[in-house]
Amino acid sequence: MGRKKLSKEDVLHLARLAALTLNEEEAVKYKKQLEETISYIENLNELETSNISPTSHIIPITNIFFDDGEKNKRGLSLTEVFQNAKNKENNCFKVRKIFEE
Amino acid sequence: MQKIRKTIVLRLEKFLRNKQPMFLGKSLIFILELIKKKKVSTKEVIDYFLKRIDKYNSKINAYLTVNRTYNSCKLDKIGLPIAVKDNFCTKGIRTTASSKVLENFIPPYESTVTKRLLDASFFILGKTNLDAWAHGSSTETSDFGPTKNPWDLSRSSGGSSGGSAAAVSSYLAPATIGSETAGSIRQPAAWSGVIGLKPTYGRVSRYGLIAMASSLDCPGSITLTTEDAALILKIIAGKDKFDATTANWEVPDYLSELKKRRKFVIGVTEEYLEGVDEEIKEAFYRLIEILKKLGHQIKKIKLLSPKYSISVYTIIQRTEVSSNLARYDGIRYGNDRTFFGIEAKKRIMLGTYVLSYGYYDAYYKKAQKVRTLIIEDFKNVFKEVDIILAPTTPVTALKLGEFEKYPFFGELMDVLAEPAAIAGLCAISFPFGLKKKENLPIGLQLMGRWFEEENILNLTYQIEKETDFLGVIKKGIKNYPD
Repeated sequence: MGRKKLSKEDVLHLARLAALTLNEEEAVKYKKQLEETISYIENLNELETSNISPTSHIIPITNIFFDDGEKNKRGLSLTEVFQNAKNKENNCFKVRKIFEE
Repeated sequence: MQKIRKTIVLRLEKFLRNKQPMFLGKSLIFILELIKKKKVSTKEVIDYFLKRIDKYNSKINAYLTVNRTYNSCKLDKIGLPIAVKDNFCTKGIRTTASSKVLENFIPPYESTVTKRLLDASFFILGKTNLDAWAHGSSTETSDFGPTKNPWDLSRSSGGSSGGSAAAVSSYLAPATIGSETAGSIRQPAAWSGVIGLKPTYGRVSRYGLIAMASSLDCPGSITLTTEDAALILKIIAGKDKFDATTANWEVPDYLSELKKRRKFVIGVTEEYLEGVDEEIKEAFYRLIEILKKLGHQIKKIKLLSPKYSISVYTIIQRTEVSSNLARYDGIRYGNDRTFFGIEAKKRIMLGTYVLSYGYYDAYYKKAQKVRTLIIEDFKNVFKEVDIILAPTTPVTALKLGEFEKYPFFGELMDVLAEPAAIAGLCAISFPFGLKKKENLPIGLQLMGRWFEEENILNLTYQIEKETDFLGVIKKGIKNYPD
């Protein structure tokens, strides 16, 4: 079983995809640890699975829907919705703008 | 003379006033009886546990938040004390998942598990420590410091439900709620010398449980007695409209199921003894002899090596984590993503990697196929046996700090718990003796068929009646007098 190689750029790219910020030191550390883990999980290739279907759910269960017009008991009041927000204005969450005007 | 008599009377009155109610080490059911017979008031019970928490929690760090609202809340119900792992949303009580991201998060809604407990007259004593986001097997990844093992404060109480297990074994709560993704109830219960029940996936609602790996997460209990585990399961189990993955199966009366004198065919397998500590193996063989004496049949079985479960679990858990933790943007609640700790970041990145273009089939799909193999493997074995007996962990509690040496050392500690979790089976860990030199609890586990919690509870109860778990639970509490 060969050891899987990742470049530092790969690690930084993964972090960017997941909206995480890493410093240099972290990137180097994660690179090593991710390589070790990825190399370990390759042991699954020892098992023959070409005719096996992947598990989607462990118990036989189908889609479940609410009935039309049913009252949603999980609804929150506006106060509850905003009680943990740091930035809000006029009953809206304030976010950083992503488009230039 | 008169004066002396007066002094004696005063002293006696003072003694009676200060006399602690005799709760130490008593089960939930015992306390419930005391309250019902009006031998003790709810307030006395709650105050008793709050006092113990004040005395010992700074040493053990089992609780992150203590709920002191009892005197101000209007309780027309009994108020049976219980503590809850801090990844269950509790309306109005801070819920952190042990991460700085949710440091100040006050849930605006109640999880189904805690809702059902409150409806059944429970009072939540507080929220217990865990590995941040339940990522780990030692509580060392908690942003609020690790929970110490009550048996040896230099050791880990296990994880991720380490706070819940330590709270019970030091009697800072008569029982607690934990959650298991793969080992997170059974492993800390084993290391802390108490009983940990992980029900079948879909038996208990995940609504309001902060999602880690949604296809595996399962709420359960940590208790001092099998009866308490049965009592709690009856309350929290069953179909929930707010969790579409809960099963519509009938919930039996687990307490009365305990009392039936049943005989089981019990499977044992070599694969689960590989690399296991000698004294844990001895405990395992000792229990086999006792089970035979009780009239159960022991049968040798063959199962897939648990080493593949580590890989399947690592892939599935990381992918679901990377997706579930994507919601923490710091906009609607909580802090932003720079507050994630090292372990969470690592898991999110690995999940992102195995799900990314070109790798999905090689890792994620492969893992889901092997998951099918593991499920089929158990299905075949359960045609021949009712229950599988195995050690819960390969070793007893490790020193704090030992986990850091390996990238996924925690998974190795959970190796014997992971297969059942991946297949969604129910399983229970209970203490069975101590490792002599270190004086640390040994845990053994029973795995049962899907939705047959009553079987593993019944057998655990028989073992409890026959052996009292070799005195482990009582001995643990003795270290923490009133």
